[in-house]
Amino acid sequence: MITRFRNLSLQIKMTAISLIANLFVFVINIVLLAGINIMSGRIDTVYQENMRLNELSVSLNRVQDSMTEYLNAKTSDSLEEYYRSAQIYSDQAEALSGEITGSLPDRMEYAIRNMSAEYLSEVSETIEAKRGRNVEKYRSHYDEATKLYGYINTYIYSLNNEQFKENSENYREMISAFKVFETSGNLILIAVIIVNALLIIRLTANLIRPLKLLAGRADEVGKGNFDVAPLTVESEDEVGVVTRAFNQMVVSIQNYIRQVRENAETERLLKEKELLMEAHLKDAQLKYLQSQINPHFLFNTLNAGAQLAMLEGADRTSEYVRVMAEFFRYNVKKGFQTVTVGEELELVDNYIYILNVRFSGDIHFEKEVDSSLLNVKMPSMILQPLVENCVNHGIRDMLGEGRIKLSVYPMDDLACIRIEDNGIGMSADTIEKLMNGQQPDPEKKESNGIGMDNVIARLKLFSESDDVFDISSEGEGKGTKFTIYLKRGGDT
Amino acid sequence: MKKRVKALNSIVIMIITAVIVALTAVLVVYFISYSRRFGSSEDSEPCGHYYAMITDNDSSFWQSVYDAAQTAAAEHGDYVEMISRNLSRDYTKYELMEIAIASGVDGIIVSADESTEMTELINEATDRGIGVVTLYSDNTSSERLSFVGVSNNDLGKLYGELILRLASEREYTGGRIEAVVLVDANSMNTGQNVILSAIQETIDEEDGELKMLHPQIVLSTYSVDSTNEYSAEESIKGLLLRERSTLPEIVVCLGELNTVAVYQMVVDYNEVGLVDILGYYDSEVILNGIDRGVIYATISADTSQMGTSSIDALTEYFDYGYTNQYSTAGISIISKDSKDGLSEGGAP
Repeated sequence: MITRFRNLSLQIKMTAISLIANLFVFVINIVLLAGINIMSGRIDTVYQENMRLNELSVSLNRVQDSMTEYLNAKTSDSLEEYYRSAQIYSDQAEALSGEITGSLPDRMEYAIRNMSAEYLSEVSETIEAKRGRNVEKYRSHYDEATKLYGYINTYIYSLNNEQFKENSENYREMISAFKVFETSGNLILIAVIIVNALLIIRLTANLIRPLKLLAGRADEVGKGNFDVAPLTVESEDEVGVVTRAFNQMVVSIQNYIRQVRENAETERLLKEKELLMEAHLKDAQLKYLQSQINPHFLFNTLNAGAQLAMLEGADRTSEYVRVMAEFFRYNVKKGFQTVTVGEELELVDNYIYILNVRFSGDIHFEKEVDSSLLNVKMPSMILQPLVENCVNHGIRDMLGEGRIKLSVYPMDDLACIRIEDNGIGMSADTIEKLMNGQQPDPEKKESNGIGMDNVIARLKLFSESDDVFDISSEGEGKGTKFTIYLKRGGDT
Repeated sequence: MKKRVKALNSIVIMIITAVIVALTAVLVVYFISYSRRFGSSEDSEPCGHYYAMITDNDSSFWQSVYDAAQTAAAEHGDYVEMISRNLSRDYTKYELMEIAIASGVDGIIVSADESTEMTELINEATDRGIGVVTLYSDNTSSERLSFVGVSNNDLGKLYGELILRLASEREYTGGRIEAVVLVDANSMNTGQNVILSAIQETIDEEDGELKMLHPQIVLSTYSVDSTNEYSAEESIKGLLLRERSTLPEIVVCLGELNTVAVYQMVVDYNEVGLVDILGYYDSEVILNGIDRGVIYATISADTSQMGTSSIDALTEYFDYGYTNQYSTAGISIISKDSKDGLSEGGAP
């Protein structure tokens, strides 16, 4: 029942509390009033006896008067009046006490009752004698009746006095009792009011307590401390609803703050990456540019050389010079843009051609390309440095025929580019250093200056992933394998 | 812990509430029962027979008789009413007799007299089946059941003895000792005459030698009108306001009221020592008078015996249909010497 009460709405609860309090006061009041009523009723009855006696006296007088009138005037009206009043008086006298008791009023009533019977019979005989015109008889009866009338009157008067005296005493006593009752009643009412106040304070405190808790928590949150424990919901009233909503709000705020923090972190990471990428590019560019002295002049010069060779009929020389010019132009033109796999492959072809001319065909280069992957995007200046690495570190110093194989093939949703040689291979230590972005051997600088570390770093930045590049070697003299994993989306 | 305190609080509040409700209920019930007490008489047990007592006056003598009668009646579950006391008007004995008869009492105890009016009233009552007992003074010619009183002859003898004692004690210088007996002027009471003659007889029968030692004792009567409250006093004033030399030496009072009136007047008129009072009955005032030496002696009748005997007579009559015709109560002298309750001589 208590839980049911808890789940009622605040308004109903408040109403119930005030109703209970009022009902309490009301009930006590009703009981006190009932007591007062009963007591005042008793006070009324105190004087009832006196009223009764007065009525009796009035009736007696009426009988006597009507008799006298009849004796004087002998009218039928007075006779009728006599009969009527005698009947009334007789009835009233009959109602008096017929018992002798220890109480004086009872005994006096007894006497009045007996005398009244006697009186009435005398009166009736008087009337009879008068009707029978027996003057002698009616006189004596009349005297007798009048005497009794006097006695009865004295008795009624005395009894009245007696009772009035007694009643007044009773009345006084009763009034003082009444006063005591009134005072005690007032005291009780005051006590009731105090208890009521306590009751209301108790009950409302129970109602208000969750609200107070809520207010305290809200204040804390308002001051910026979102790390508050959720409040327990004690009741299903409005306070309960607000408490629940507050709990939810705090949780929401906490979530929101976390999200904002995460977003900021991501943004910061992105910015860092961008900066890093730029730094790497700048580095690569710088190194490249350092290695070039006015490349346009060089291209033009080389083109002029190619044309000259063609004019002289030296076709091979012309071809060589053109390829060389192409190779360098690519470097200058594409710089560090995003290019397609096909463009990179072309650069590799040119490079191999140049090398083969230089080293008189010592390098055996094999290509195995899935032509559907030629349009996959990738950073520029990736494959040529790798092939160059194969040439310089893999096969230059080896005995026998050096081979370089380049394959482009799909794997799941990736496009894989693998460059392998059969050269001296790499130690695990070197591989690990390379993969961690360190230059294993800083002394050995390449001609066009782009190191493996730069290549790997740019690949990672480009694909936003660490798993974009892989180096494997089965040991010294067993060749090296570079594999690039590109996303096939191709739009990047 | 907090929860327990809370529960405790609730229990305390509940208990207080219950206590208040209980208090209210108790208060209301108490006061209602208290107020119920009024209006219902405490002794409303019905009584058996209802007797009326009619006396000459409401003096303490009669009061004492009535008290004894009522005590005796109560033992039989009956009730005696001194009706004159309850009425706001003063009625004569005859009127009170009429009232008692009309009121339908079972018995009447009346201090009667020998008038024919009284005789008629007693006879009328007897006709109606009301038992009548005459008390202290009789109506011999009526059909009363019984007379309860003191022996007037004995009473007279005692007064005579007291007069003689006074005569021998006091140094009377005059030629004679005048002893005045106050008699009721209106009363048809023959008892007075019996008393008077008994006094006279006692004085006359005094031993001849003793007689020579004091002046002659002259007995006379003085009528006191007792028809209303003040008439007795007025009459007595006439007796005591005489010339000092003509004042009676001894005043004999045959009733309580007269005794008190004479005592008062002797003190008022500064006649203490001049007049010796022989009183009747032993009320507080009279005993006081004896203490102060104003009243020489008083004769006390056994009032309680009179009261008891009258009720016994009525009870016997209602139980067996007859009763003793006469019943006398003891009398005794109370003087300064014997005031410790010692009875001096006296009647049966």
